[in-house]
Amino acid sequence: MKELLQRLSDRFSLKEITYQRDNLIFITVEKSNVIPFITHLKQHENFSHLVMIGAVDYIENGTFQLTYLLHNYSLHADIGVRVHVQRENPVMESIHTIWAQARTYQREIREMFGIDFPGSPDVDKPFLLEGWQNIPPMRKDFDTLKYSQETYFPRSGRKHYDPQNYMKQKLYPDKEPE
Amino acid sequence: MKLKDWISPFYVWKRAFEKPFTVPKPLDERPGSSRYRGFHKNDLEKCIGCGTCSSICQNHAIDMVPVEGIETTKGDSGLRPRIDYGRCCWCALCVDICPTTSLSMSNEYLWIDTDAEVFRFIPGAENKPWDNVQEGYTREESYHIVDPERVTMEMLPPDERVKSFLEMVKGYSREQAQKEADRCIQCGICTATCPAHMDIPGYIKAVRENNIKDGLKLMYETNPMPAMCGRVCTHQCEDVCALGHSGDPISIRWLKRYLADQVELDDYAKAMLVAIDSNGKHVAIIGAGPGGLSAAYYLRLLGYDITIYEAKDYAGGMTRYGIPEYRLPYDQLDKDISYILSLGINIQYNTRVGEDITFEQVYTSFDAVLISVGLLTPYKMEIPGEELPGNISGLEVLDMVTRGEKVYFGNRVAVIGGGNVAMDAARTARTFGADVTLLYRRRIEDMPADEEEIIDAEHEKVEFITQAIPLRIEQTEDNKLRFIFGLAEMVDQGDEKRPRPVLIEGKEHSIDVDMVISAIGQGADFSFLPMHYEALFSRRNQLKIDEFCRTNDPKIFAAGDIANKTKDAISAIADGHRAAKTIDHMLQKEGI
Repeated sequence: MKELLQRLSDRFSLKEITYQRDNLIFITVEKSNVIPFITHLKQHENFSHLVMIGAVDYIENGTFQLTYLLHNYSLHADIGVRVHVQRENPVMESIHTIWAQARTYQREIREMFGIDFPGSPDVDKPFLLEGWQNIPPMRKDFDTLKYSQETYFPRSGRKHYDPQNYMKQKLYPDKEPE
Repeated sequence: MKLKDWISPFYVWKRAFEKPFTVPKPLDERPGSSRYRGFHKNDLEKCIGCGTCSSICQNHAIDMVPVEGIETTKGDSGLRPRIDYGRCCWCALCVDICPTTSLSMSNEYLWIDTDAEVFRFIPGAENKPWDNVQEGYTREESYHIVDPERVTMEMLPPDERVKSFLEMVKGYSREQAQKEADRCIQCGICTATCPAHMDIPGYIKAVRENNIKDGLKLMYETNPMPAMCGRVCTHQCEDVCALGHSGDPISIRWLKRYLADQVELDDYAKAMLVAIDSNGKHVAIIGAGPGGLSAAYYLRLLGYDITIYEAKDYAGGMTRYGIPEYRLPYDQLDKDISYILSLGINIQYNTRVGEDITFEQVYTSFDAVLISVGLLTPYKMEIPGEELPGNISGLEVLDMVTRGEKVYFGNRVAVIGGGNVAMDAARTARTFGADVTLLYRRRIEDMPADEEEIIDAEHEKVEFITQAIPLRIEQTEDNKLRFIFGLAEMVDQGDEKRPRPVLIEGKEHSIDVDMVISAIGQGADFSFLPMHYEALFSRRNQLKIDEFCRTNDPKIFAAGDIANKTKDAISAIADGHRAAKTIDHMLQKEGI
């Protein structure tokens, strides 16, 4: 992995490297570098398997982080390629031309986070959320509680006791002398 | 047909004997991964029902409900979380925030039932197959949503402390206070334990949001002496703080002090905005300690005209004459007292009821009388030589130092006792440069003094001799005192009772000192009450008082150390408040 990293850093500008384990590292690259970097890993370094694409909403930084997890069968090692995408009008180049199955991940991310992958087949079709009207639900500014209260009826028979008030009632209730 | 089409079926047969890649039924042979977030488990013994899991839940999936067999006690609400799996999204925030680490998740994920109602359950209280499954999700040791460490309070180092009476605790800055307040999870478990039931989460929230005046006002609803309590309160609240189960409890006392310190006395009236309509009724209060002052404050707010009779030349009682200045500076105590008195309370200093004015005079000229005289008569050790000059009580020492009188401690002092008075006397003697040995009849863990007082005394190099039974005091030839004591063994008294020290006969030890300070407790002096008030007492020196601070005489009420078991300032304040409510109730209702 060390030699591999050396070879990669000779060729690409790697912004941040996190060693998670001996066989798992995360490398952050510039958005414009992602496609060449991933293509290189697949074609020259034998990272032939796209394990998954993940997304995280870093609302505090105004970015989404995408992670492309790639696997190398001969090394039994993974590289997570990370990239930050602006939260405002988020767009990322599609990799369905490198791995055809990427279209499914991209379609899901498009639905859950609202990140667009222009050119990815069927990227605008609903994935799980048919008829969804709200903002993408995995965004941090999506109010889960508000949504569930508006959408689902409360189950009858629920009752909540506030600990502070309950303790007052049990241990020191207001009493008046006779 | 191609050749392949003929051969393919045989490939299938060849594979038939290999391990299949598919997962066969039944599915229960495939457990969740070891950190899987499956169904909840809750250790009901560990859980204190703080409800933080319920507050943090993004979907309101958790209700706090009573569980049969779990009592509500100080530090445990008696409630336990009930989870509605119709709403749970398995995010595990409830597990991550749980201050006692009682809540966890098993790696079990299969639960099939035709009745939808069963998917709302109380983990731990209803037996489930996964209750004893070890694998599953727990909070990682190193991961904390809330900082487990309190913001450190800067204090004078012990060797600096013994040089002067400067306040040893420096107090929080705004940044420090807000950071500390930010740790509070607002569960409110503490409120029940506070004798005055202060709205602790409320005023901590005020610190966090920098609403200083609102915070001050909130404190005054239940405690009119926050500058004092913010320094010397026994802070039982911190002992039950939910965060104390897996980290440091919130510095509740220092946050209270912070709030009181932020507002100048001149601005108190503006912050509090109280309007008083006098109702024409008069109440006399005997003793201006925390109990009497607290009652005076709340009665005055209700419109009563108050006269306080105080035997000494300043108000504050034990908090002034019994607590050294390095723990409670007099200007801070004066701040609390000045505000209370500024509401138009008449106080007569140097007026001892029974001497300067008779109790009968007080009794007949007021609508009600509150006795809050405190405990001022030191118990005697009842040993030979006790009358020798150089043997003095702890209260006397503290009183003299407070009044600025010269006290000759000499080079070596023996302090007898294990309570706060003993600690304060020992530390005061250290400040005057004496070597101090403290002797106590039981063990350190049995000492009634606050833990931090014991620790501070140790840091200030007070020497401790425990299980030491006083035998007698003798005068030596060079005019010193020889304090002679025996050692004791602790004899078990059964489950409920604390072990009793029993003297080991035959062997005596002694130390030669310049002064013996005895501080083994104190009792009340009711000699100002004429004989015919006998009915007020259950036995000698013990007033009969009900839970509303009433005595046998409908016009006489009692508060403070004479009226409660814990005998600390905050309990006295709580008593005073309770007595004020009772007096108001009785006077309004029956017009006595």
